[in-house]
Amino acid sequence: MLKAGKFGLGISRSYTAKAKRVVLAQDKSKIKEYTPKTTDSHENRVYVWGFQETGALGLQTNVKKAKERYTEMVHHPTRLQFSNNNDITDVAAGYGFTAYAVKRDDGETLFGSGLNTDSQLGFQVKGNPKDPANLDVIIYPTAIKLPRVQGESDEDMQVKSMSAGRAHLVILTKNGTIFTLGNNSYGQCGRSIIEEERYSKSALIHRIPQADICGKDDEIVQVECGQDHSMFLTKTGRIHTCGWGADGQTGQGNYHTAGQITLIGGDIEKEKIVRLSCSSDCVLALNEAGDAFGWGNSEYGQLDDSEHAQTQINTPRALKLTKSIGKIKDVAAGGSFCMALNDQGLVYTWGFGILGFGPFVEQTSKPQHLLPPLFGRNDFSNATSVVSIGCGVFHMGAVNSDGDLFMWGKNRFGHLGLGHKKDQFFPFKAAINGKVTKVAYGVDHTIALCKAYF
Amino acid sequence: MALTKVYDAATVFKHLNGILNVYKPAGMKVKHVRNAIIGNICKGLNEMEQREPRKLPENRPLLGTGTAADHVLHNIASQTDLSDHVLSAGPRYLPRDLICTTVSSLGEHTSGVLLLGINRGTGQSISIRKNRPVRVYHITGRLGSATETHLPDSRVTARSNHRHVSADRISGLASSMQASHQRKMFELCGVDLQTQEAYELACKGLLRPADDSQPVVYGIKLIQFERPHFTLEVHAINETQEYLAMLVNDMALELRTVAHCSQLRCVRHAHFDVRDSLLRHAWHLPGVVKNLRQQRDILRTHPQLLRQSRVELQATQ
Repeated sequence: MLKAGKFGLGISRSYTAKAKRVVLAQDKSKIKEYTPKTTDSHENRVYVWGFQETGALGLQTNVKKAKERYTEMVHHPTRLQFSNNNDITDVAAGYGFTAYAVKRDDGETLFGSGLNTDSQLGFQVKGNPKDPANLDVIIYPTAIKLPRVQGESDEDMQVKSMSAGRAHLVILTKNGTIFTLGNNSYGQCGRSIIEEERYSKSALIHRIPQADICGKDDEIVQVECGQDHSMFLTKTGRIHTCGWGADGQTGQGNYHTAGQITLIGGDIEKEKIVRLSCSSDCVLALNEAGDAFGWGNSEYGQLDDSEHAQTQINTPRALKLTKSIGKIKDVAAGGSFCMALNDQGLVYTWGFGILGFGPFVEQTSKPQHLLPPLFGRNDFSNATSVVSIGCGVFHMGAVNSDGDLFMWGKNRFGHLGLGHKKDQFFPFKAAINGKVTKVAYGVDHTIALCKAYF
Repeated sequence: MALTKVYDAATVFKHLNGILNVYKPAGMKVKHVRNAIIGNICKGLNEMEQREPRKLPENRPLLGTGTAADHVLHNIASQTDLSDHVLSAGPRYLPRDLICTTVSSLGEHTSGVLLLGINRGTGQSISIRKNRPVRVYHITGRLGSATETHLPDSRVTARSNHRHVSADRISGLASSMQASHQRKMFELCGVDLQTQEAYELACKGLLRPADDSQPVVYGIKLIQFERPHFTLEVHAINETQEYLAMLVNDMALELRTVAHCSQLRCVRHAHFDVRDSLLRHAWHLPGVVKNLRQQRDILRTHPQLLRQSRVELQATQ
């Protein structure tokens, strides 16, 4: 019954009598060669999901089709066609729009899609340039031309860091120039507020050299936008802010709106801040030693849980809440909750909303950690731990060392990417075909930058 | 207790109960393994000391007239019942006298641990099956050629280049598939995701499936890569040979090449390890009896194999 033929590695191939007739008599010359079509050779691929009607996902290519029914939301992570043809290096998600940093031969470095009601994606012309009908919604990523001064090369214009708010976009380029686009009604673009300025169909892109903000000796490394304010983090750990300050989110010690970019002090004056996170009006910062600082809205006791605590904090202060966590590696601030990741890979959440502790826990003022099995640690993968966290206004996410993305929170317009619209009360893996390297959490959509397996 | 040597077939048969761990060779069906084992057990039993044929009852009235004086008839009547003799009745033990059930079946091309419940062990085998323990497989795939059934004994359907495949690419994909399967496991355990129960279950980690309708893979790990062969260690419940072969095929397509499954070996079934399993040359009565005793010890140290109370799962089970 068994007859073994040796080949390779000592693995013998055995045939039954029937199989012998079928297999050995096969004409080997007629076997087809399988050459799979590799769609792209780019390092990163981009998956998008969430609310599509704003065009923020950039999946649609046809305006007519985009208006059809059942296209308003995408429940499952979907691969962005644009990332097949372009080498995307960074993504940023705003309120209904997305910006992509790309590397291209033709010198374009920034693309955007989604809402353009306040020209946050630049001045976009439809069809004939002589007939400037501005597009309010851009359904497919379009180049945003950053104005250059003489002698600036394509390399200088590569995006180093970018962030998007409700209706403005802040870009930091390699040569240290900051570009701000979009709404400036609170001074979030870092220029003085002009009464009754029209932002729609505006071609204005404000340009700020970093020396104007932090002087010649320092340089800006990260930009971060809240809902209507902007923050600039420098290499020495200083923070400069501008924009809406009604909840104290600018940290300037007052509740005014500021069109002037100002260095902020408070408890962070002597600290070297390395990370900054904000999604709406509560800000968390992290220093080199792993201590957390916060300012802005604290209505749900995110920043201070003591009795008679202020609900708005306008000066950066060291958080007492997170003292028990240990050394913090990463922080993220959402609309009504905060997250922190410590050096043991434990994710702590506190505040109000869906915190990941099941449907019954809606508010905790004390940071509590989510159990590691929720992030894929089990007997079969016992070294897995969370490496990065992030959150949008209503949802949270964590990426573990295997490159899996776990999402939980409110599921507005399916932006959790779990295939349905129901809220998720504990971390659940989103099905993405790739190792996640960066996630941009918008208010109603999410974008993940991934690496392929092959 | 002092060990005593048993020569009596009936005593051996009486103790022939329990779970048997057999190493099933590849290319042999489970049915054939079962028949071979049972046949060998019977052969062994029949070679031992047998029961004497029955005695005819004393003072039996002799049939026929005028036979009272026939001393030959008297002689026969006083002796044993010849109709009960081995030479007339046939062997004492036949394969149909033994009850034998498999705990769960293995495909024809799969080799490795096969658990059989013998006689009163059938009850145990059913409880083990109902507890759905994890089986661990070592699956070897061969890159570069795909076959119709994804197993080696069928026609080759496609060939492909596999120079771009590397060990870390395969393990990267394996870990991602593992995470996706664990997510699926959660959907199959039959709870509503929006409830407190779901959260509590999720905190426990791995779960068993609620029924045996769907295969669930818990762990996939690359343990060897020697072009064109790669070996995966797969922990699974409710799996079949075809499903595992398909898994190899799907992984290869994801790696932008083709492959078929060239070897499947079940290395562990619950706590029953391949190292304790009975190889083909030991498929005889002394081997079987020794193996039954070993498996009985395993069942004694791990009583949860028969009575499972927890829904979560440990890798060592």
